[in-house]
Amino acid sequence: MGVRFPSPAKINMKTDVKMELDNLVENAAVIVLYLDTKGNILLCNKKTESVLELNRTEIINKNWLNVLFNDANSVMKREMFKAVLEDSINYKRAKDFRCHILNKNGVEKLISWNVSPILDKNNRIEASALFGQDITEIEERETSVKNIDDSLKNIFSSIKEYALYVINLDSNITYFGMGSEAMLGWNKRDIIFKHASILHNAGDPAFNLALILEHVRLFGKYEIEAELITKNQEVVPALLTVNQFLDSAGKLIGYIFIAKDMTERKKLEFQIFQAEKLAALGQLSAGMAHEINNPLFVISGRLEMLKDEELNQKVKDNLMLIDSQVDRIRKLVDRILKFARKSTLVLEAINVNEVIEMVLPLINYNKMSIAKIEIEKTFEKNMPEIKGDLHQLQEVFLNILINAYQSMPNGGKVKIITSNFKNLYAQIQIIDTGIGIASKHLKDIFMPFFSTKSDGTGLGLSICHNIIKNHNGSIELESQINQGSTFTIRLPFI
Amino acid sequence: MLYKILIVDDEPLVKDLFIDLFKKEDCQTIACGTGEEALIELKKESFDVVLLDIKLPGISGLEVLKNIRDTDKKLPVIMITGFGFDEELITKSKQLGCSGYIGKNMPVAQIIITFKQFVKDALEKI
Repeated sequence: MGVRFPSPAKINMKTDVKMELDNLVENAAVIVLYLDTKGNILLCNKKTESVLELNRTEIINKNWLNVLFNDANSVMKREMFKAVLEDSINYKRAKDFRCHILNKNGVEKLISWNVSPILDKNNRIEASALFGQDITEIEERETSVKNIDDSLKNIFSSIKEYALYVINLDSNITYFGMGSEAMLGWNKRDIIFKHASILHNAGDPAFNLALILEHVRLFGKYEIEAELITKNQEVVPALLTVNQFLDSAGKLIGYIFIAKDMTERKKLEFQIFQAEKLAALGQLSAGMAHEINNPLFVISGRLEMLKDEELNQKVKDNLMLIDSQVDRIRKLVDRILKFARKSTLVLEAINVNEVIEMVLPLINYNKMSIAKIEIEKTFEKNMPEIKGDLHQLQEVFLNILINAYQSMPNGGKVKIITSNFKNLYAQIQIIDTGIGIASKHLKDIFMPFFSTKSDGTGLGLSICHNIIKNHNGSIELESQINQGSTFTIRLPFI
Repeated sequence: MLYKILIVDDEPLVKDLFIDLFKKEDCQTIACGTGEEALIELKKESFDVVLLDIKLPGISGLEVLKNIRDTDKKLPVIMITGFGFDEELITKSKQLGCSGYIGKNMPVAQIIITFKQFVKDALEKI
């Protein structure tokens, strides 16, 4: 319903009520405009002047729309506001409207309007009253709070190395934020209210969720290296920090989990461990090979001298057999020494594409291709050069290619892809469609004397590993049984 | 007699083998087991060639070589080692002025041929 306001006819009446009303209206903290039915402003207050930065003569008897919307860009707002006013008149009821206006000095103000029709005794529209509250500052405050909220959300969701999730006292997940989705593969919607055990490795003897929560309840915090389980049942090694989740009254309402993904760290630790192990093994092997070489030299030397003696055929045959076996040991010791040796690199600028081209014809000399094997090359055309030892790198590629061939006794395909990795490394991938290597063997594949082949010495790949490490590069193997293997080698550009 | 050879190796059986092998080649041999003994031997007598093991108890073969070269630039000295063809050892030996380098991992017949070749080359240079 409309507000009862003094009718225009009574405005000049000098009564106490009018005095009070005048005062009230004049000093109100809201814009007050009083319009006749044609939309001309009959009355305004101080606040109107201050917000619009107009004086009263610029307002009174002017059309309200021209006063409020004096710029050409406000056509839409002007029409909308006009419709609101007409609405309030047609339906004889108050209406609310919110819009920006430009004051005389071009400052934008956000005004929350209330439009009220003024009715006479016969319930006919006599005039309209507009009350406008300047909410510019309130809006700015709200916007900035909202911006902070938004940026906090963005900050949280940008942190991918940490998963942050919260569980309630029943151990059901109630919040799943920060890097949780990326790290654990679950969609927020799918995991909320699921039991926390879904994220933790039940087979991990060091991880008992109930005990950990009890510890946190009593002592406030717990930190543990644990294995988290992704949606696809993959294991993510993580450093887990569990904290109490308290409400504003300090009552425990759940637990906050912050998990740091340790995959890369573990990988690095493993590589360092591997490198140290290899270095120690190298030293041991070199020492052993030396000690074996001396007696071996004596045996073969004495055999050599016996060759000139007059001996019966049976003895000669046996000596031949001993000689061939000694020769076998000598070759093995040579391989060991080669693995152990910290040979100096003869460095030169090398294009890895050219090294591979040099190696490819050599494979055929190794009597490899009884079965049909197809080679597909995809070379980076503008490959920057690396600094490397040509012969040693040839040995690496030859070794890996021979392995690839041997893994495909019934034929298959070898893809050789070279690419520029992040402008830092020449990346060489050698991908075969062979028998593959079981995942349990992958971690040992570069260890000396480890071989999955019945006739392998287990030194080829460990020599490759050493050579690539000496070049400050990296070599990795991914493999799946019956799918094939992918070797990825990265060598730093000059 | 072809050459008078000083054999330096700490392994008695290796020493004995070299003595027997070179006897067959009509060489005269004197053998010792340490670098210190070798230097004393070299002061006492003159040799056509020294066959010098690198890994020795006490001073190493490389130090003996350096010692020899301090006073004698010409005496052929052939290094021999159970470490095989180790680039680092070969480079060091060459820098110190060895006349040849033999790995014990070579077949014995080849060792003798290589040894004789090195000595021949070294003596021709003189």
